[in-house]
Amino acid sequence: MQQHEIQQFLERYFRANECDIIEADDGYIKVQLSVEMDKELMNRPFYWHYIERTGGAPAPMQLTLITKQTEKTNSQEGERLHFGSPRLHQIFRSAQKRGSFIRLYEEAASSEQSHIPLHPWLGLNVKIAYQCDRKKDSLLSLGLHLISGTIIEQFHDRLQKLKLIPKIPDYCFTISPLIQPMSGIRRLEQYIRRRISEDDHTWAEQAKERWAEDLALLDHFYEGVEEKPECYYIEKEALEEQYKPRIIVSVINGGIFYLHSRT
Amino acid sequence: MVDIEMDETWKKEFIERVEKDGPWASWEMYELALEAAMHLSVPEFDGLQAPKHLPHLTPLPHQLEVARQVVEHMNGKAILADEVGLGKTIEAGLILKEYMIRGLVKKVLILVPASLVSQWVMELNEKFFIPAVQQKKSYVWEQCDVVVSSIDTAKKSPHREIIYKQQYDMVIIDEAHKLKNNKTKNYQFVQHLKKKFCLLLTATPIQNRIEEMFNLVSLLKPGHLGNAEYFAKTYGKTRTLQTNEHLKALVNKVMIRNRRVDTGIEWSKRHVKTVLIEFTKEERELYEAVQALKYDGTLLLGQPFSLITMLREACSSREALFVTVKNMLDKHDGKIPDPFHKIMEKINAVSTNSKAEKALQLIQSIQEKVIIFTEYRATQLYLQWFLKQHGISSVPFRGGFKRGKKDWMKELFKNHAQVFIATEAGGEGINLQFCRHVINYDLPWNPMRLEQRIGRVHRLGQTSDVYIYNFAVKNTVEEHILTLLYEKIRLFERVVGQLDDILAKMNFANLEHYLQDALLNSQSEGEMKIKMENITAMIELANQFAKGGEQYAAT
Repeated sequence: MQQHEIQQFLERYFRANECDIIEADDGYIKVQLSVEMDKELMNRPFYWHYIERTGGAPAPMQLTLITKQTEKTNSQEGERLHFGSPRLHQIFRSAQKRGSFIRLYEEAASSEQSHIPLHPWLGLNVKIAYQCDRKKDSLLSLGLHLISGTIIEQFHDRLQKLKLIPKIPDYCFTISPLIQPMSGIRRLEQYIRRRISEDDHTWAEQAKERWAEDLALLDHFYEGVEEKPECYYIEKEALEEQYKPRIIVSVINGGIFYLHSRT
Repeated sequence: MVDIEMDETWKKEFIERVEKDGPWASWEMYELALEAAMHLSVPEFDGLQAPKHLPHLTPLPHQLEVARQVVEHMNGKAILADEVGLGKTIEAGLILKEYMIRGLVKKVLILVPASLVSQWVMELNEKFFIPAVQQKKSYVWEQCDVVVSSIDTAKKSPHREIIYKQQYDMVIIDEAHKLKNNKTKNYQFVQHLKKKFCLLLTATPIQNRIEEMFNLVSLLKPGHLGNAEYFAKTYGKTRTLQTNEHLKALVNKVMIRNRRVDTGIEWSKRHVKTVLIEFTKEERELYEAVQALKYDGTLLLGQPFSLITMLREACSSREALFVTVKNMLDKHDGKIPDPFHKIMEKINAVSTNSKAEKALQLIQSIQEKVIIFTEYRATQLYLQWFLKQHGISSVPFRGGFKRGKKDWMKELFKNHAQVFIATEAGGEGINLQFCRHVINYDLPWNPMRLEQRIGRVHRLGQTSDVYIYNFAVKNTVEEHILTLLYEKIRLFERVVGQLDDILAKMNFANLEHYLQDALLNSQSEGEMKIKMENITAMIELANQFAKGGEQYAAT
């Protein structure tokens, strides 16, 4: 992540969370936090507890975040942010927490007058992690048409090209889904499982080989010992945790999208 | 087929929101969440992510290579055995960070010598943004993810029981050569820890015997070198060159050792100067009065060590000697033996300290920061007082200081004082590379300890040449040690790593014993000289072994 990407991310994050941006210039941003964001980011529960108990006037903090070294930022007070900063990772976590669930409608082109049907889609962005003693992630963005059951990939890319709004637009009506959200999720899970099974899993085979090797060494170490000591079992467990291949699918975010039908 | 674990929590909450009709995120927030996830996901098994997260840290090429090796080829279980000063802590930090970024490690136990705890905490936080916490209260074990503690604390009840209940993803042990003996409590404590990923850090993986290597490796990866019986049979006393090579290859699968010469890093030079000091008449008389005890069989019977100690103290300061004499007198229940009267008299007669005068001159001429090492507390106190009389501010430093105080004293020296006076134990675990002058006010007899002292200033990060001044009083035990041992083998000018090798070839527990024998039991000056020559030859021999191709476990 480049420093200018961090700067943009921060500006968008604070705007999306309704914080006033007091200054934003080349390499830094100064924001007035809202009460909600202060609670989210500043880690001062006692202060907020006190204000709420005494009914005092809340004074959320201002935050200056510096993303680039310039002549101006050199003399500035503020937190210097880069890709590894704990603050940026806190903001990443906050964004993921606050951007998990969604429901949007596609806006109609204004010229059309007649009633326009909007089709329900279930969108899901997932992270698939292949994990043993090593790890690799991949992301998958899926969309399920909740009428026909059609599944498409790179669903998010498609959404990005549309104009989406939180309220149902005038002259539009939604078609009720034939597939309920829960079974929709199950269908997508099935799809993900199939996608995974088609993938190359040499990594898992190799991990199992490493596991077997170390296990053989361990058995050799305690060879001839009639009653194996506790250490043996601890070590055996450790090897399982270290090497056992697992695939973990976690949902980044998702929701319902009502879209025009496209043929 | 591999088990697939599907996310259940998102599903549940989503259905709830569908039923309650919200709350829903804005499109912008939704996009930001996905972008954050993209930035955080790691699309490859190979390669290191950590450097991208640590832009202010510039790891050296060999450090990055170690981290990559451990993650990609050693499955996260390794002995990091670089020579002193090549940055094993940085390597361990990089590896830990890598696993944390990839989400493979969350809960971490770091066991280090007590004197290094705060330094580890500081480095992990400041250099690696790893929220490491010093174990101070017992709830820390459970509540904090990355805990740094001394092994001595950790192995004791109730800590041990709590630790065994934790599910650690990674265990890091610094100064792991202390675990060379599998009969010790420390060893057994570590053996019973669950070690999913594990790093053992040591600059001296072998000090004496090959079994030490076996014990260390068996802690990390039991069976890698076979079991005890097999190991003894195959690699024991009668091992052949071939099995030796085989053992080396095996060890190198779990151990990485970089040598200074291989790293291609330019090290600053070391200038060593011997400063010989002449006693005053009174000091000489005191020294001789102590030496006369040698012929008084009744007093020191069975404790030859005391005499050597007293002679060395007499070379350091009358204060140091006084403490010992007083302790001995206390044992005599007030009946003061005659020779001691004389010593006390001579102590009182001494009015100047020639060494201190010399140190003062030197410090005044250097005009920069100086570290003085002495072996004695009393000398330390005296020097502090003495320098103060001449308007020179100094910071005393001892091994017994609490961690926080150590750091504070170091800062005090860095910012406010010219001189840092450390006793022997203070040499461990503190980095003072902002200083480049070291006075060895009195010399330790174990060369390893001398290296430790010099290593405080002559390490990675030292950009200037380093100056070492070795003080010795003429015609005393000090001069013998200095000329016969240190100068002959030119110990000071050797680089750290070579010394490791040399010492690994010798059993150094014996060295002090040899020296004592030479100095005490020799009937004549000539006999002593011969004995000292023998010791020198012994070290030379070890040196040749170390240089020769038969090097053990070299990478």
